[in-house]
Amino acid sequence: MNIVFKHIIRFIVLVAAQVLVLNQLEIGFGIQFMVYPLLIVLLPFDLGIIYMLFIAFVMGLSIDGISNTFGLHTSSLLVITYLRPAIFKLFGPRDGYDILKEGNMYEMGTRWFISVFGLMLIIHHLWFFILEIFRFDDMLFVLSKTLLSVPLSFLFCLIFQAMFVSKPKER
Amino acid sequence: MRNLIAFFRRFRVFLIFVLLQFFALYTYFTYLNFPRSQYLTSVSRVSGLILTVQNDITKHFNLSTNNYKLQKENIRLRKRLPESFQRMQNGWAKINDTLFHQQYEYIPATVINSTSTKRNNFFTLNIGSKQGIKHGMGVFSDKGIVGIVHIASDHFSVVKTVLTENINVDVMIEPIGLFGLLKWDGRDPRRGSITGISNDLKIKKWSKVTTRGGSGIFPRGLNVGKVEKLNPVEGKPLWDVVIRFSEDYRTIQRVYVIKNLFQEEQNKLESLIPEDKEE
Repeated sequence: MNIVFKHIIRFIVLVAAQVLVLNQLEIGFGIQFMVYPLLIVLLPFDLGIIYMLFIAFVMGLSIDGISNTFGLHTSSLLVITYLRPAIFKLFGPRDGYDILKEGNMYEMGTRWFISVFGLMLIIHHLWFFILEIFRFDDMLFVLSKTLLSVPLSFLFCLIFQAMFVSKPKER
Repeated sequence: MRNLIAFFRRFRVFLIFVLLQFFALYTYFTYLNFPRSQYLTSVSRVSGLILTVQNDITKHFNLSTNNYKLQKENIRLRKRLPESFQRMQNGWAKINDTLFHQQYEYIPATVINSTSTKRNNFFTLNIGSKQGIKHGMGVFSDKGIVGIVHIASDHFSVVKTVLTENINVDVMIEPIGLFGLLKWDGRDPRRGSITGISNDLKIKKWSKVTTRGGSGIFPRGLNVGKVEKLNPVEGKPLWDVVIRFSEDYRTIQRVYVIKNLFQEEQNKLESLIPEDKEE
């Protein structure tokens, strides 16, 4: 399948899953599921950072537009997109990334995915909740929200990958 | 000049990031107080359409509870109809009433999108300015107040609910008539708080909290909730009154928008008060 087409489909499915399903799941304790950062980690390794920033911007705005957050999702998505090259470098293999591969769990391994995507999710959620609450004396509440939401968001991302990302064929 | 171009080339990624980030944060913080346009909110045509389709599917999940609620409200209202009274005296002359003028009108609406776990929760309604909805109108349900209209497009509107940071509805505690401002701390969608209540007054637990109707957004006496707890504020002679909302904002579907027919008159009159000048 054409790679551009593949990512457009992922974009639409992730936005739809976020605004139509996950935004409606409210289980209390301030927990919010956010699955859309997955798109950023799945983008090709050799894509320029400027393109990625614009993709993140469009994606964030389309989610903000429907869920009445007015730019909160955009802001946090831009932050992790900007930090993506640095994080990838930190956990990258010694001889660089194979540009034919993709940053999903099946091709890069579970350990790589947990450390890279886990770190991105934590930064994303922390930034999101800090901006949302925006008070210093509620820092504990921000941390509890982040710690409760990150594992659940991660779980939803794993489910999404199992459903929409094809596993490489065994040779 | 060459240095400048070299600078931009070197830092272009960072500059683009800052530019986009600035745009996002700027819209976020301005739209929380006053939305400038319909874009980026759920009243725009595309998102309104998506939410309508979604609501068409999900609205049936709560159908029986909502029918029950409406039925209860119907019973309450039906009791007040002339048909449910027995006429004790006949032969009264009918007069054209000049003592009572209609001040508030109510427009029914359906909530098509709602959240309750965020810090600032907004609801989207399925009616807009074509049905007469404007910025600043009050919204309530059969059990209690819901919020104030934040922005309206032709066919949709967004309500800033009680579950936001700066809602500041003026409410009073019955029967003493003490009034303060309603706040929400962002944690529990079932509880809010009232600030500005002096602690030399005794307040009974479970006394009713209703709207004061001072700004003309809500009529006087709409239900808000009940006093659950009184917490002392450190260093100030004030109570922090914790109230329990009478409406459950997590399952809300049917609401009414309040149209105050005298709002313009009140605003015009109040704008005549000279503002305090600092000297």
